[in-house]
Amino acid sequence: MSDVVTIEGLTKNYGRRTALTDCTLDIPAGHVVGLVGPNGAGKSTLLQLICGLLSPTAGHISVLGAPPQSGSPRVGFVAQDTPVYAGLTVAEHLRLGAHLNPRWDASLADGRIAELGLDPRQRAGKLSGGQRAQLALTLAIAKRPELLLLDEPVAALDPLARREFLQGLMAYAAENGTSVVMSSHLVADLERVCDYLIVLVASRVRVTGEVEELLGTHHRLSGARRDPDTIGPGRHVVAASHTDVQSTLVVRSSAPIEDPSWSVDGLDLEDLVLAYMSEAGSSGRDRVLEKR
Amino acid sequence: MIWLTWRQFRLQAWVIAALVAAIAVALLVSAPGLFDVYRDTGMAACTGACETALDAFKSEVGNSAYFAVYLVGSAAVLLLPALIGVFWGAPLVSREFESGTHRLVWNQTVSRGRWLAVKLAGIGAVAILAAGLLSLVVTWFAGPIDRAGDFGRVTPLLFSARGVVPMGYALLAFVGGLAIGMLTRRLLVAMALTLVFVVLSQLAAPYGYREHLVAPATSSTGFDAERIASLWINQANQVHIELTAPERSAWVLSNVTVGPDGREYSGPVDPTACGRAGGPDECHAWLAQQGLVSEIEYIPSDRFWALQWREFGLLLVTAGLLSAFCLWWIRRRVS
Repeated sequence: MSDVVTIEGLTKNYGRRTALTDCTLDIPAGHVVGLVGPNGAGKSTLLQLICGLLSPTAGHISVLGAPPQSGSPRVGFVAQDTPVYAGLTVAEHLRLGAHLNPRWDASLADGRIAELGLDPRQRAGKLSGGQRAQLALTLAIAKRPELLLLDEPVAALDPLARREFLQGLMAYAAENGTSVVMSSHLVADLERVCDYLIVLVASRVRVTGEVEELLGTHHRLSGARRDPDTIGPGRHVVAASHTDVQSTLVVRSSAPIEDPSWSVDGLDLEDLVLAYMSEAGSSGRDRVLEKR
Repeated sequence: MIWLTWRQFRLQAWVIAALVAAIAVALLVSAPGLFDVYRDTGMAACTGACETALDAFKSEVGNSAYFAVYLVGSAAVLLLPALIGVFWGAPLVSREFESGTHRLVWNQTVSRGRWLAVKLAGIGAVAILAAGLLSLVVTWFAGPIDRAGDFGRVTPLLFSARGVVPMGYALLAFVGGLAIGMLTRRLLVAMALTLVFVVLSQLAAPYGYREHLVAPATSSTGFDAERIASLWINQANQVHIELTAPERSAWVLSNVTVGPDGREYSGPVDPTACGRAGGPDECHAWLAQQGLVSEIEYIPSDRFWALQWREFGLLLVTAGLLSAFCLWWIRRRVS
């Protein structure tokens, strides 16, 4: 399958502050992609570069085979904090969408609003956080984009609204085969809906891949204390923690690990992401994670 | 895009439209009475010096409601650009940035350039229309009083509140406010800076470039005691003399009385003629013998329309350049 986004050597600086460093990345089509990383990792910057709201300091991006441009009919974007016009009613937002988008799907938009039980005459400023997010999502998908970008769409929502939002998003993506890229600083939000993962930490891409494959190739090893460098070829230590007698390693290896001196466990997605986050958190090439 | 522009603009539009309409109605209601006075006192028919008609008209109008309406109308034309800049221009982009909605609207299928161009053209046209209508009514109503008053309409006090320049100031204020809002990205900061910008743009003309837009007239006449406008003598017997300009309602740029050496005359005067002992007549007679020449540079009132169109053109060009900058900036520099 082709790639919806290709990124090469992408760097973005705000003045002297670096938001994204030398990022190279391909996002394949037809996936629901989770973009995960701690606050300030550069997730918003990356999404805004992809939708053309920002222009890169260096490097190259191609979105659906063309340079990114805001106002493209093929890309939908739900910005952080799901902004809507507080003074406009729900119905007026749909009218805005209909006026500004030639491919506007009015029946989809009206249907979603009715399904959600939103009063079209209500001002958007009076909506709850969950309703506002749903309205912003409706605007983005009724535009019928081929690529849908969502920047922390559920960060401000309560658990119930969070689940409803993600269900709506999943239903739409599954029905239409739209590629979705969604960022979050919480793995739990992404775990249920994403089949592809990008981990972004401290302005760098740490790991990308399909969730199934990532889970299959990462192992937690525990055993008697030893130097992580002796683990052997083809195996990459993502994170390591040591007590006086025991070492625990998170290792990436495509081949199964059959060393009897280790006890080998699988990882869940959250542990995997945390391992990469802590890798970046430690200084330099030292990959030791102190976990006392 | 036009629908969205109107939907987001309509509240501010109605407020200022109501203000303009209220003042226009007040002027239209008062106008017949004022024009009656203008005709009955003989001012309308008079073409010469009109001393008696002028005095009669002034005493009728001076303390009447007409004069209050006249002042309010003139003030409204001067204030309208500030209102347009602060409430139409400054919030246009900065409010989108503050609420984050620029990320919503720029991800519809509309380019940033087109989004701004529609707003710029649409609201800019409304600004010109509002200022033009108000200025038309005020200029028409104020005609008789401007003619009779001590300040002609070519003088800085009235010039910016008459004719076509208010449209230029309104447009410049709108585009300037928009640009300031786009650069600062903060609503209140943008509104405050826009107010400063509009005031400066209106002061720049009378204190800076306006007098260079048309060639001034000059008059060079011998000292004439009948035409003394002001005469000051200080303790050291130094004197400062200004004569009245050849035309009452002209805009006087410089007014100096020079001595025989061609430099500004400052005395010293003869203390016996112009001191405490002598009366004004002796002093005037003494001054008349000093070979003084009054040199006055002024812009006569018949250059009013030439000056109006040139200043209007200059304001339009400035607003056009500023608009081009805004369109370039929003495409290239803004996130």
